[in-house]
Amino acid sequence: MAYELQYYPGATSVAENRRKHMSGKVEKLREISDDDLTLVLGHRAPGSDYPSTHPPLAEMGEPECSIRELVEPTPGAKAGDRVRYVQFVDSMYNGPSVPYFRSYNAAINFRGVDPGTLSGRQVVEARERDMEEIAKFQMETEMTCPALASLRGATVHGHSLRLPEDGVMFDMLDRCRKEGDVIVMHKDQVGRPIDKKVNLGKPMSPEEAAKRTTIYRVDNVAFRDDAEVIEWVHRVFDQRTTYGFKPEN
Amino acid sequence: MSDTFSDANYVQLEIFPSRLLKPETAQNLLREIADLEGIIRLFVHGPRLPQTVPYGPATGLPVQHPGNTVIEVAGQAIELAVSVGSIRMEVVDVDVKEQVRGVCEKILTVPFEFREGHFIPTRQTVSDYARRGPNADPLMTGMTDPKGKLKNQPVCILKPDDME
Repeated sequence: MAYELQYYPGATSVAENRRKHMSGKVEKLREISDDDLTLVLGHRAPGSDYPSTHPPLAEMGEPECSIRELVEPTPGAKAGDRVRYVQFVDSMYNGPSVPYFRSYNAAINFRGVDPGTLSGRQVVEARERDMEEIAKFQMETEMTCPALASLRGATVHGHSLRLPEDGVMFDMLDRCRKEGDVIVMHKDQVGRPIDKKVNLGKPMSPEEAAKRTTIYRVDNVAFRDDAEVIEWVHRVFDQRTTYGFKPEN
Repeated sequence: MSDTFSDANYVQLEIFPSRLLKPETAQNLLREIADLEGIIRLFVHGPRLPQTVPYGPATGLPVQHPGNTVIEVAGQAIELAVSVGSIRMEVVDVDVKEQVRGVCEKILTVPFEFREGHFIPTRQTVSDYARRGPNADPLMTGMTDPKGKLKNQPVCILKPDDME
């Protein structure tokens, strides 16, 4: 029988969601067009060519190298794209993803990525078209709720603050607003106004967010509720400590 | 440095809603509180809303955050530079405290914490001394915006008649 990756221990909904994010088997909830995505990322004008930092690999004449022969370059690397970033902030009030699981998702399911994990935000650097693929995947699926997570290239404050009355995570640069029952982004991820409003879709209801979140919270699913997770976290810490003291064992 | 304002048994309160308040809600709440007799001083507290983008490639562009607005309380226009997260105040006695609780229950549609404690300094600190000097009004002690400038008159006197 073929071995099936398990990704993460635990029997709670949070553990199950963490497995989904890591495996990439997440539900698609909304549609965001390529032009809209380019607009909110703010790295180039929608519809324009990808600027390149070197000629396409096929034209460059690469040196003979067994690793280069073995590893197929990503589309962005093949074309010589610039390295660009996408950065997400997720609310700790049942935001659907947490920084580590965005990073796991990127590192496990995509190639040529450099995820950076911080306490309240998560950044992925990659060749531009590869980065756009990840950004689109994470924004269109249940990994993102437009109200509880947002694209923030700079000025990221909001992850740990109480939600405003309308339920859209606090953003001092006011990039997203709730208009009717949808969330609209009218600035790009660093706060520059954009030509048209981008509809990011409906926000999740509090109940749905609680069901889809990957954050353990005492007012939803507590970390201590998951005996298997506790057991494995203890095991990892125990063995790491033992190994640190006695490398020969 | 020994001037104290709250020698009397004044009561300090904090209203801590579970959500950051919209300017309209904050205005309604502050108006109702300002109408009560026995409120000595209060300030609003919360994450600051910048006028211009402070970091990144868009540095310097205007933000125009809807929370950054002018509210009117007791006939005075007040520029709201923060998203209101909590309101801390000093009141005369526990009767006023219960009136404030009643106002919160009437206005706020979200759950809130309401507690009595020590939230505003009553003795002058070294920073207060450096800002306002030796003969400062003890009423102003602790009423400081850490990022504000005194020349911008950060403290509004809503009912000057009550001061006498």
